[in-house]
Amino acid sequence: MKKKDKTPKKELFMESLQLPKDICMGALRITMTGNTEAWIENYKGILEYTEHTILLQAKTCQVCFEGTRLSVDYYTNEDMKISGCICNVRYL
Amino acid sequence: MIGLLKYLKGYVRIKVWGFSPERFMNLCGNRDILLWDIVKDGDACYMSISLQNFYKLRPIVKKTGTKVAILQRCGLPFLIPFLSKRKIFILGLCLTVAFWMISSLFIWDIEISGNYQITEDSFMTFLEEYDVRVGMRKEKLDIQSMEKEIRRAFPQITWTSAKLSGTKLLIEIKENDAPIITATVEQTQGSDLVAEYDGKITAMIVRKGVPKVGIGDEVTKGTVLVEGSVPVYNEDATVREYTYVDADADIVLEHIRTFRARLPFDYVSKEYTGRTKKKYYLRLGEKEFRTPEDRPFLLYDSLIKESRPLLFDKLSIPIYFGCYTHREYQNTEHEYTLDEAQRILNEKLNTFLISLDEKGVQIIEKNVKIDTNSGTWVIEGEFLVQESIGVSTTILKEDTGENNIDESDFQEN
Repeated sequence: MKKKDKTPKKELFMESLQLPKDICMGALRITMTGNTEAWIENYKGILEYTEHTILLQAKTCQVCFEGTRLSVDYYTNEDMKISGCICNVRYL
Repeated sequence: MIGLLKYLKGYVRIKVWGFSPERFMNLCGNRDILLWDIVKDGDACYMSISLQNFYKLRPIVKKTGTKVAILQRCGLPFLIPFLSKRKIFILGLCLTVAFWMISSLFIWDIEISGNYQITEDSFMTFLEEYDVRVGMRKEKLDIQSMEKEIRRAFPQITWTSAKLSGTKLLIEIKENDAPIITATVEQTQGSDLVAEYDGKITAMIVRKGVPKVGIGDEVTKGTVLVEGSVPVYNEDATVREYTYVDADADIVLEHIRTFRARLPFDYVSKEYTGRTKKKYYLRLGEKEFRTPEDRPFLLYDSLIKESRPLLFDKLSIPIYFGCYTHREYQNTEHEYTLDEAQRILNEKLNTFLISLDEKGVQIIEKNVKIDTNSGTWVIEGEFLVQESIGVSTTILKEDTGENNIDESDFQEN
């Protein structure tokens, strides 16, 4: 019960101070140009990588990029770029 | 830019396969190892990694149980060992670059455009006097002052523009189309007009000075026609003083001009035998290198053809190569036929007549005959012509003290 009470309070605190959520709460940040390129920040790691699916682990959730001819242009600890034809972005 | 940095630092294209390439990628990310161009093909992953980071992969590979193989080595670090084996090549490369850099500090060509009256030679001589020459340092050239100096040295140049294009100095000039009006020196001394030939005066218009002859007078060479010393009379008709002017008049004199030209009966002409020899040479600046040769033929003339290679159109180096073509000939004697002789002599006469016409000489009568005389054709002509004459000569003042005396007399009066 204690944990449940804690989260809204933290969110409330963040909103009242107008702090960016991606930094303070570790939310995933995705920037997309059309359906061909996507820049992803604030992720934990890559779980699955095939030509049709890229599954990423974020702090609170998992994100699955689906499409065709997907490839990772670069991959570092901070950010990565996915290019290819993206059809679907799903939060698991 | 990033691509260049990657190239300079060197990178390898690797293939990763095994239990979990994704885990391999995550571990690389955690250890701040940049991976790029990651492509999955079946079970294997292909990616690029910098050479520096590639050496850090061993613990990750061990941990993840994947296998890594190098597919391709790219970048400068891989090129250097390859080059270090070829020392002469490196030396040549360095020398070439050095030669380029050093030679681009000099002026290797001077090009002049827009000159019509001024010959290129005279312009070049001027530039050499001004210490602008092929092979000089670019820094030493002061374009602004050179332009000024050009305009000063050649008054007919109205506009100059000089610029350096690579190792080439381009000088563009514009010449004045209109004739130059040079300020005539005021002749305070005064001058007379004097006859140039013996003859009869047929017309006379005097603008300045005192006429000494009239229309119809026979004059000899040296006769004063118009005097520049104009007398100023006292009331008693005595000369008080002389004012000196430059005598100016249009005087037409009728006199006889003669023309005489000779042409020998025979002449020598070159007849080429058709035999030629070619010799090639190389010239560096003023120094010429060519293969040693004997006299190619007994009688010959030579054609020189020279060309200059230009590197990239801009960098011009004073290296010329060319070839001499020696052509053998024989001297053969010919005799002029009457027709030929007449034609040649008439041409000579015509050029004489044209030159008279250009001077504004009017021909009244002419009498021309062609004759032979001791092995030559002779053309003789007598022309009664009318032409305007008059040469300015300075006046010889006889007594200079006259003025002062007259003035003092005047004051007394």
